[in-house]
Amino acid sequence: MANTGEAHQALKIGVDIGGTFTDFVIYNPANGELITSKRLSTPNNPAQAVLDGLNEILDDYELKPSEVVITHGSTVATNALLERKGSRTALVTTKGFRDLLEIGRQDRPELYTLSVKSRPQLIPRELRFEVHERVNHLGEILVPLDLDELSELITKIDDENLEAIAVCLLFSFNAPEHENVIADELRRAGYFVSVSNEILPEYREFERTSTTVINAYVTPVLDRYLGVLEESISNIAGSFHLRIMQSNGGIISLREARQSGVRCILSGPAGGVVAASHIGRMAQFDWENQNTGLEASSNLSLITFDMGGTSTDVSLVEGVPVVTTETIVGDYPIKIPVLDIHTIGAGGGSIAKVDEGGALRVGPESAGADPGPACYNHGSQEHDLPTVTDANVVLGRLPVDHFLGGEFHLDRSRAQEVMRNLGEKIGQDQIGAALGVVDVINAHMVRAIRLVSIERGYDPEDFALLSFGGAGGLHASDLARQLGIPKVIIPPLASTLSAFGMLSADVIKDYSLTVMLPGETPQTRILDAFSEIEQKGQKDMHNEGFASENINLKRTLDLRYLGQSFELNIPFSEDYLANFHRTHHDVYGYSLPEAEVELVNIRLRAIGKIEAPTITPLPLGYDRPDQAYLEEREVFLTDEHELIPLFRGELLIHGNSVPGPAIIVRKDTTILLLKNDSLVVDRFGNLIITHSELD
Amino acid sequence: MLSDPIRLEVFKNVFAAVAEEMGVVLRKSSYSPNIKERRDYSCALFDPTGKMIAQAAHIPVHLGSMPLSVLAAIEKFKISPTADDPQATNHGFVPGDIVVLNDPYQGGTHLPDITFVSPVFTSDENKTLKLGTSEDPILLGYVASRAHHADVGGMTPGSMPVAREIIQEGLIIPPLKLFEAGRRNRAAWDLILANVRTPEERAGDLWAQIAANIRGGIRLQEITAKYGIDQVHFFMQELLSYTESMTRHLLAKIPDGIYEFEDFLDGDGIIDKPISIAVRIMIAGDEAEVDFSESAPQQSGSVNAVYAITLSAVYYVFRCLIGLDVPNNSGCLVPIKVIAEPGSVVNALPPAPVAGGNVETSQRIVDVLLGALAKAVPDKIPAASQGTMNNITIGGWDPNKGRSFTYYETIGGGIGARIDADGPSGMHSHMTNTLNTPVEALEYAYPLQVIQYGIRENSGGFGKYCGGDGLIREIESLVESQVTLLTERRRLPPYGLSGGDPGSLGENQIIESGKEKVLRGKGTNVLKAGDRLVVKTPGGGGFGSED
Repeated sequence: MANTGEAHQALKIGVDIGGTFTDFVIYNPANGELITSKRLSTPNNPAQAVLDGLNEILDDYELKPSEVVITHGSTVATNALLERKGSRTALVTTKGFRDLLEIGRQDRPELYTLSVKSRPQLIPRELRFEVHERVNHLGEILVPLDLDELSELITKIDDENLEAIAVCLLFSFNAPEHENVIADELRRAGYFVSVSNEILPEYREFERTSTTVINAYVTPVLDRYLGVLEESISNIAGSFHLRIMQSNGGIISLREARQSGVRCILSGPAGGVVAASHIGRMAQFDWENQNTGLEASSNLSLITFDMGGTSTDVSLVEGVPVVTTETIVGDYPIKIPVLDIHTIGAGGGSIAKVDEGGALRVGPESAGADPGPACYNHGSQEHDLPTVTDANVVLGRLPVDHFLGGEFHLDRSRAQEVMRNLGEKIGQDQIGAALGVVDVINAHMVRAIRLVSIERGYDPEDFALLSFGGAGGLHASDLARQLGIPKVIIPPLASTLSAFGMLSADVIKDYSLTVMLPGETPQTRILDAFSEIEQKGQKDMHNEGFASENINLKRTLDLRYLGQSFELNIPFSEDYLANFHRTHHDVYGYSLPEAEVELVNIRLRAIGKIEAPTITPLPLGYDRPDQAYLEEREVFLTDEHELIPLFRGELLIHGNSVPGPAIIVRKDTTILLLKNDSLVVDRFGNLIITHSELD
Repeated sequence: MLSDPIRLEVFKNVFAAVAEEMGVVLRKSSYSPNIKERRDYSCALFDPTGKMIAQAAHIPVHLGSMPLSVLAAIEKFKISPTADDPQATNHGFVPGDIVVLNDPYQGGTHLPDITFVSPVFTSDENKTLKLGTSEDPILLGYVASRAHHADVGGMTPGSMPVAREIIQEGLIIPPLKLFEAGRRNRAAWDLILANVRTPEERAGDLWAQIAANIRGGIRLQEITAKYGIDQVHFFMQELLSYTESMTRHLLAKIPDGIYEFEDFLDGDGIIDKPISIAVRIMIAGDEAEVDFSESAPQQSGSVNAVYAITLSAVYYVFRCLIGLDVPNNSGCLVPIKVIAEPGSVVNALPPAPVAGGNVETSQRIVDVLLGALAKAVPDKIPAASQGTMNNITIGGWDPNKGRSFTYYETIGGGIGARIDADGPSGMHSHMTNTLNTPVEALEYAYPLQVIQYGIRENSGGFGKYCGGDGLIREIESLVESQVTLLTERRRLPPYGLSGGDPGSLGENQIIESGKEKVLRGKGTNVLKAGDRLVVKTPGGGGFGSED
């Protein structure tokens, strides 16, 4: 294992702060024990729940503080951006271009509306300052920076009571001197400065400016939070290791995170995807092992499906989680590499209604958590609206007495009432209406999942569907059938998966640089270009505690045909050009081997391997799941009700197999098996659902 | 009440997914920035009679015009009864046929927009399901894709010249089978590529459209295999009725009456004389008649719109008013009768040039439609937006790279204010939504340098709510080059509403050795090395008086 500067036997704790709960996953490498716990989140001071939870864990394990490694995912940076509660920030940019941030790409977000909205401003016009300077595409300085003007600018900025400054000049990735001089001056004056050639040295000025500005906007807020957290933990724990989850699926030291908040924007959801990929790999190893006795040979291909109350997150894992550089958060693009997570605006709380044209619509409006679906019995009954969850209750698919482990009893009569009312509008009884709501939400999901896969160049048929999140288990099997997906995986840690992901993530840092060279450039010249960012990568990884031999550097190139405006990312190797033509053909259906190729960006990913928790396999039990059987229930799979068996998921053991139709109730989710489905429990406790062709 | 509100919603998703997926395939596999990055394309699904069932939300100006492309293809190849064979009533297509066209007078809009239409038949897989009674494959419907190609020949690079007849604007492709029973017509293919300036890039983009159509066809066959041909055709018709009823609901909410409005184009690029676009909208119950009869006759310059453009503009306006996420299909226009005199500027006949009809006149048609409807539903209608796309083409020889270059761009402007809000600044409005070329991308690609790209302050019309500001884009040519401008609202400003001021006029200038020279809205000029082109785009109109 890599020397990560940590005691090998240190207790590892993953912490994920969510809107409702703060989740903990504790892994003890000494005995392979894996424990989860939850506390209510403390939104006014998110660190409080973390501290209380840690205190409890340290007490429980009677631990000495130096033996703890904590990995933390947080929504602090995300919320600062989405709720526009970031720091008061200014922008310094090249003369003539201060409005770039406002203009964006000059397109409007919605096509068919007469109420066109402006992009919400992160930095008002009066705080976007211009300096006389200009660099061209060759890195030549056309207009030198005026130092007198700069000192006047700093005086002006000093009057504005600002916390952070973003500096983004045209073509600064080619000649960073001007940006660096400005940044140095501003840092001397005491500001947090986010500099575009450090954050994203790539061409396309709007996306670079946006990424740099978001970093300036959220970092001080994240820094304050992490500062408080670090101090309070050190009060109880003395010396310890604290790392932060980034949006790219890797973790990073606290010190780094406090300088680059933009890298932590999608910290929480990234944890879920990393965990899903880790679990998927174990599950795949397990089934391939059983079939062939050999090590997993094929690439892991997963669609992760996290269906919650108001929205559903979908992402793809193709060997490793798929990464994108085209993310938009809160109307602003973030162009650094992040895990490619697509959010669909539909979930268990999506509201059904009949529109003026007489069609049954579901969503995008959601009942949320409060008042929530009618069956939650929260709001007053006259305001009840029919939701997907109500439909599942009416159909008997979501047993009212087993929701959240039976702690929260659902009101079936209120669900029936709203479905009856809905049914009257479409000439159906409550069952017909409920079946309709489920059909429509599934049609939405199928359309969205297919589009997400195809946009990324994949066919869903080649994937397994890994479902976590509370609402997914009732829909996953049906969706898989409609998408032609042969296999569904439901992991045992479904509700604390993000926190688990924090423990399985490696330390990852991404670097890039626009070079804009001919594709035929000699390899030595390309290696020269890499040398600077490689040194940076090595240094950063040393600072993270990794010895040189344990650092894995992956070099890739962004290539395109001359005249194209998009690039393909190709591993750097002897025959990268041939590889590019081949990949172009695979992805886009044609290649032009005679055409000129352009090398746009070089990219480096530095990885420091962390030993992920190994889950101790469960002993093989019996085939028959008798110990988990509860009773038979009346359920509507079609408009005819039938009696189908109910099982308690927590009691299923490795080797159990359950034929569909059946319902598995668990504390965190409820799973529906359709006719001809069959479920087996693998040795890590994953539920693996397959279906036969017969319907 | 519709027969099955649930299935209807399911099919809405199923059909929309076909068009969306085609769009993804087209964008992903296209070669040129204009399609890939500016997203100037559309894809749609049609029933066997050519009615549009679903279109992915791409470019509004393609909305009403796609069905006309499919109809033109059907019309061209259908086999009518003859004396010899009185029974012959066939569509004249076989599986594997793909029709290509761009002729604005036969289903096109302007020449750079090339459309591919593919008939889709039952597959062998469908046949085993015994869907048809005959042995022959059954026509399921059509899929079509349209993309704006960066060059289709003609007198200037970019094929958006200020011309006097369509023949000068570029290569004209009447509906022809580029593929017959799956075999490519190599002669037609070569002929097309021989008549464009960048054949390699064109070939890449044509293949992308073909790939999109093939994918759409496969999906329609899969849907048919799953649901059966009767269900597929039944719900195609149900979705048409559904969208029609949504339009009828909308029209019923608009007070009955006759609403008129007139606005003008600056000129046709040859003579600077205002050109009238006049509309008379009659709302009666849940139906409407939109009559453009009082509009000017067709012009010598390239501002003429073919009927498809006018239809698209009408479609766009009513589609916006419906508001909800309804399928973009032919049902929308069933209750709306559109009258446009043949030979007028809103329904041009050959050989009138039409390059600007698509990009400029379409915006003015929207302006007059909204102006008229503002009298009926004043709280729903915003003041005029910039009313132009500010088309710029700069071309010449790049000595450093040793090749010629063509740079095409459209520039956003002010959006009109509305009853409760200011209009946004520096955005594309109404009939287009294409992205800009990043400054850094532009300077890598062309011997040009951007001096300024910013908001044109105080150019929005004042009012209780102000119109959005226009933009300023200032470009220095580092070599001698030719610039062609196709711009509007340089003489007659975007109107305000309810007492709001009009937006500022747009302005085009050349700065030659420090001296400013104002340019006409449309025309071609020479830039010497070091000269600068300054385009100031119009502001949006204000809404309400200031006090």
